[in-house]
Amino acid sequence: MSATQKYAWFNLAVIAGTLVVIVVLLPFLGKGALGGCGFLGLIGFGVLFFRKQPGKILTDERDRVIQLRSIILAYAVFWIVFVLAAALVSPWIYGQDGTIPVWVVQMSVFGGFMLVNAVMSIAILVQYAGGSSDAE
Amino acid sequence: MPSKNPEKLTNRIRRLRFDHGEMTQQALAERVGVTRQTIIALEAGKYVPSLLLAFRLAVAFGVRVEEVFQYEDGS
Repeated sequence: MSATQKYAWFNLAVIAGTLVVIVVLLPFLGKGALGGCGFLGLIGFGVLFFRKQPGKILTDERDRVIQLRSIILAYAVFWIVFVLAAALVSPWIYGQDGTIPVWVVQMSVFGGFMLVNAVMSIAILVQYAGGSSDAE
Repeated sequence: MPSKNPEKLTNRIRRLRFDHGEMTQQALAERVGVTRQTIIALEAGKYVPSLLLAFRLAVAFGVRVEEVFQYEDGS
């Protein structure tokens, strides 16, 4: 398994762990359980998979192509979801003249972060499984 | 108008490895500066390399790039 694949699995594990923490704490803490989003900070440790090791090639041009495509896809999906949420879902839930609670805005930041990282990680794993077809 | 058959790029990397003292995928990967997974993907036809990597592979085998990669235009 390449360093990039390990990074993708690690990201998905952190996101899944964060969601589990929030769901478990929700009955006890209510909205306070959203503090569990702090677990997302563990994603920062993902860079450790790319520590340089003497004589070992961790990433190459194929990895970079896969990473770039995955990032582009992740941000494309994020923008579609963001636009749909802002233009359709929020007026539908809160009404055209309604107000959006602050916690929803805060959660949208963490939600967007999780969405981008999850889509990117899944796209990385799918491309490694199926094979990316060309260099750029 | 595009042809019915898609363009195809095949390669003889596996054959050339065996012709060069049964060179391992890892040894070839280290020689050309990529990971072993990339050599596996190349041999399986799942990845088309950059021009630079194609030349590096040819140099590693001591042959011309056309002897490593074959292009079929599909027409």
